[in-house]
Amino acid sequence: MRRRAPVASLIAALLLVITACATDDTGGSTTVAPGTTGGPGTTVASSTTEAPSTTAGGPSGEPIVVGGTLALTGGLGPTGVIHQIAGQLFVDRLNASTGLLGRPVEWNLVDDASDGARIAELYEQLISQDQVDLIIGPYATPNILAAMPVAERHGYVLPQHTSVLAPAMTYACQFPGWSIGPEPNVFIPNQLADALDSLGGSVSTVGLVTNEGGSTSFVSYGPADNPDVPATDTILPERGYEIVADIPYPIGNTEWGSVATDLQDADPDIVVINGLGLEANGLIEAMNQIGFDPPMVFALFPAPGAVLSLGDLTDGVVSVSIFEPNEPILADMDPEAREITEEFSARVEEAGLPYTAFETQAAASWNTWEILTQGVEGAGSLDQQAICDYLHENGADLTFTGHVDFDPEVNNYWPTTQVLKQVQGGEWVVVWPEDSAVSPLQGPAG
Amino acid sequence: MSELQAAIFGALGGSLFGLMALGLSMGWGFLKNINLAHFAMILLGGYLTVDLATNLGMSPVATIVITAPLLFLVGALVQAGFERFDVSEFNSLLISYGLLIITVQVVTNIWTADYQRMAPDVNPLAAESLRIGPFVFPAPTLLAAAFAVALVVLAQFVLEKTYAGRALQAFGQDRQIASAFGIDHRMLGVLLAGASGASAAIAGMLIAVGEPLIPFSPFEWIGRVFAIVILGGIGNVKGTLYAGLLVGAVSGVVALAWGPSASPLVVFSLVVLALVFRPQGLFPRKAGH
Repeated sequence: MRRRAPVASLIAALLLVITACATDDTGGSTTVAPGTTGGPGTTVASSTTEAPSTTAGGPSGEPIVVGGTLALTGGLGPTGVIHQIAGQLFVDRLNASTGLLGRPVEWNLVDDASDGARIAELYEQLISQDQVDLIIGPYATPNILAAMPVAERHGYVLPQHTSVLAPAMTYACQFPGWSIGPEPNVFIPNQLADALDSLGGSVSTVGLVTNEGGSTSFVSYGPADNPDVPATDTILPERGYEIVADIPYPIGNTEWGSVATDLQDADPDIVVINGLGLEANGLIEAMNQIGFDPPMVFALFPAPGAVLSLGDLTDGVVSVSIFEPNEPILADMDPEAREITEEFSARVEEAGLPYTAFETQAAASWNTWEILTQGVEGAGSLDQQAICDYLHENGADLTFTGHVDFDPEVNNYWPTTQVLKQVQGGEWVVVWPEDSAVSPLQGPAG
Repeated sequence: MSELQAAIFGALGGSLFGLMALGLSMGWGFLKNINLAHFAMILLGGYLTVDLATNLGMSPVATIVITAPLLFLVGALVQAGFERFDVSEFNSLLISYGLLIITVQVVTNIWTADYQRMAPDVNPLAAESLRIGPFVFPAPTLLAAAFAVALVVLAQFVLEKTYAGRALQAFGQDRQIASAFGIDHRMLGVLLAGASGASAAIAGMLIAVGEPLIPFSPFEWIGRVFAIVILGGIGNVKGTLYAGLLVGAVSGVVALAWGPSASPLVVFSLVVLALVFRPQGLFPRKAGH
């Protein structure tokens, strides 16, 4: 038996490393996977899809190659793949119309397998060896942060989908497709407090539960190196909401039963889950199992389909969104928006995925592609500095967000269009602010 | 009171990890294989459960009638491969890690990278719980604990009371001597690996009953399962269950007292201490086992 101890020690060390690498961060939503991933580090799509048209007005000539990675496998895969489907739809529609600068677009998409350690290497390869004409960011804040120095070193414009950590995105030619403004740590708790204020005092105590990963921890506590920066933990009390439980948890947490018990003891009026992906599900189910039914629940970046999959259990849950395909919203938009959302949903359904709505993640993806292509068309060339300058000077007109301007003074983070959504009758509907609401915010259950 | 409730949650959840660790521990202890493909089989068991329950309308628990024999065959085939190529203990780790990665990719391609979860009407157990006095026992983990205890009792009975079990123990202690006494170690190994595969099917079903699955799930299980194997004692059947309960209960109480972030710290500190002071595991076993 003693002979085994060294092997066991080795395994223990190896597994600690594996476990540490098996965690994820950022930005949740549910997803879509066409099931065609080629494995970590492999190019999974390099297509002009709809073959370059030779008809009048269609793109022709050498394709313009856009390089980028997405987390199509690994811990971030459930959300990364939605960006694949949205991006491919965008490229297909672009090539079916006029292309980019009159040329077809080819998307050189590489699966980064959610491995943040490989992002820099893969972007270096795309730029230096594959010599792509343009790049587009990966999915998830840590991965975008890893790609940014490579883009900056080579002077490439980096449109990126989902990093909301505005203070960390310091490269002047990175352009966010999703913005919660320059201070998401201030905006999010204030927006939530505004909404709660409208409920006439029925909510006064908060249970704050936070994933210790970068973006969610930032929203709860501000930057780790400067605790004086206001965030949820200070803003909600200033707004009159007492935090009666403050529970940070590690990425990959499994102790939902203990967290639920802690919350039950504190008995808050609202549980604020600043978490990602499936974490809200884990906690909501655990609370239900012990019979603790908090009057309200707010989940920052949940997988939206997963939340709905819990049925009545999640009725009333509130979250954030930059776009929801609610009928009144679509009715007020250009018909193209409806066409895009329907085509997207059809592709997601074809891929066999449970949640097909074109919502925040897909909209962020669409915004990012529009920023890239409008920059190129505006500059009239593939010159990176010209594209960057054009976007700074002119901004971009985004189908699902409207016009946005990029100010390098605030790291190009435009005034947010974020709204609050709530599960009502088994669907996500926009409930806040009041002038954007499709339905009124519902207060504490019962 | 809350601490006790947290310990109950943790222990019940830990029993599921103990069940996941059971096949791995026995394969490592008796066959000298560190079979990471065991996690691949658990993953397959979970996905097959979701698929069968959702598309064929089977009760999730009843799906093991199909998945257990299927994964028995898979487990047996993997072991037959190890035997055929005389794979060493360390190489079994590397090869089975490759098998795990392949399985994760195959699962991704078949079921997509998106989470998979049974709808509430297909899996009513997920939202149910048993309440005894002030304490709550969530149905999914309570079921897991029941299966874990049943399988450990069965495995212990087979090891102690049957010729095959005693032969396995002999083989685990000294292959050459056991072979000299006419023990057909190849057949025994294949049967044990098959049984481990069947236990993986059950563990997969229990996971699918309790939580959503994503292809990457095994990498979230590995750390805790190996901690349980090491703390329980490699090849120690009952020790594996005890370690699962202990790790779960300690994690739960620590999470409540000091926050969930402290749980991994405490659990892996226990592993380090165990490797230093009790490399044979925390739980004694009878002589000859």
